[in-house]
Amino acid sequence: MDKSRKMDKQTPEKTGGFFSRLRKPSTKYSLGGLLIVGFVLGIIFWGGFNTAMEYTNTEKFCISCHEMHDNVYTEYKNTIHYNNRTGVRAVCSDCHVPQEWGPKMIRKVQASREVWGKLTGTINTREKFVDKRLELSRREWKRMLANDSLECRNCHSLESMDSTKQATRAARQHERALEEGTTCIVCHQGIAHELSDDMTDDDYFN
Amino acid sequence: MKKTLITTSIALLFAAPTWALAAPPADWSTVDATELTLFYPGVSPMEWITGDIRVDRVRHGGGRAFKQGDTCADCHADEPAEMGGRIVSGEKLEPTPIAGKAGHVPVKVQAAHDGEMLYLKFTWQQPPASQGAKMDEANPVKIAYMLDAGKIETADLSGCWASCHGDSRTMPEGADDKTKYVKDGSLASGVFYDLVQWRSGENKAYDGYVADKRVMEGGSALVSAEGTQDGDNWTVVFTRKLAGGEGDVSLEPGNKYNFGFALHDGHTAGRYHYVSLGYTLGLDTEADITASKQ
Repeated sequence: MDKSRKMDKQTPEKTGGFFSRLRKPSTKYSLGGLLIVGFVLGIIFWGGFNTAMEYTNTEKFCISCHEMHDNVYTEYKNTIHYNNRTGVRAVCSDCHVPQEWGPKMIRKVQASREVWGKLTGTINTREKFVDKRLELSRREWKRMLANDSLECRNCHSLESMDSTKQATRAARQHERALEEGTTCIVCHQGIAHELSDDMTDDDYFN
Repeated sequence: MKKTLITTSIALLFAAPTWALAAPPADWSTVDATELTLFYPGVSPMEWITGDIRVDRVRHGGGRAFKQGDTCADCHADEPAEMGGRIVSGEKLEPTPIAGKAGHVPVKVQAAHDGEMLYLKFTWQQPPASQGAKMDEANPVKIAYMLDAGKIETADLSGCWASCHGDSRTMPEGADDKTKYVKDGSLASGVFYDLVQWRSGENKAYDGYVADKRVMEGGSALVSAEGTQDGDNWTVVFTRKLAGGEGDVSLEPGNKYNFGFALHDGHTAGRYHYVSLGYTLGLDTEADITASKQ
């Protein structure tokens, strides 16, 4: 007891580390002022976060690295999702990043692995990309199979299709898919990118 | 107008007197005509149709549907011309496009019978000339049809495709001595296509079959084949007995048969032909092409 009292007397009173100041009630600023400042800063931070995240969803960002530009982007430019009659383009993120916030966050965290791939150069040459294409494709097919082709369904739905405006073969298959519950990726592997040459029978869903 | 007439009459050695009296309908205009579009198939062997191999880096998108029982015509009946155009240009399924070659040829098919004979008439307009090499020097034009009595696996879905394989001659990975064949093909078990072909240059018709290999002779049902070119218009009339011998599909009124036909134009050979989807030929019964008794 005596010892502790002695130490109390010897220790100077601390008036302000950053965290201890955060823990103390304000004696200087009004609650309203703090709320307004907090609200404004919240908007700035949240808006900034979302803006930065949305920037990573743009085609410009995706093809800013040559790995994407020279390989998958070049192939995709020859497909209907890039250039079509209606002028509606599905960019990289439309097919590869979920729209809902939660799944999008999870996907973005997963995508941090791609940053590591970029830094270590896992697909920094055409040869490396070709060698790794099947592994990357499998990962994406697996994801789309698991989420019932969610990114396709963000724009397309079997229920909304007017089969009378489709080619006979497309109409037949879409009607059958609706009846059987077949998900898009089963029939549409490779719709926007070339298929790997070393696919095995098991890699084909169709 | 320049008019060229080529007439072939093939009198078989053992033709019976009744056959000599048989004749095609005097007035073909009274016989129903079916307009079908032949198209250029490129490299699309059966193994690709079923979705088991890749051509052009992709598998056939309809492989799944085919295995579920869809016929080729179920999906493609209204687009042979479009398909032919995309293939002949090299956009799809054709590694060695022939410059100037047409993608499709509309053909009018008429059929009739008289209880003894079947008469098949094909009429088409000469497509524009192409700049391809003369693969068959002797014959500018060849037309052939095949019949199956329901014994060949998938012939009811795919027509002639059941005889078209990736290892056959003129295919990119084919062997020069490998002809058409069908799975489990055998005359003894009845698993074969009855094949008949008329060749314009030789002015001759062949009555053969496709079983474990293609044989261009041996049939005894064919009586005659008459080919005529009038300007740009071609007409070929085949006359065959309903009854047949070895390598022939015997035909009976009331039945229908799997039927397909093909046209080689511009001195082509092998896979460089125009082909039909799979159809049915019926005798006095409803089919894609019906031969009614005259």
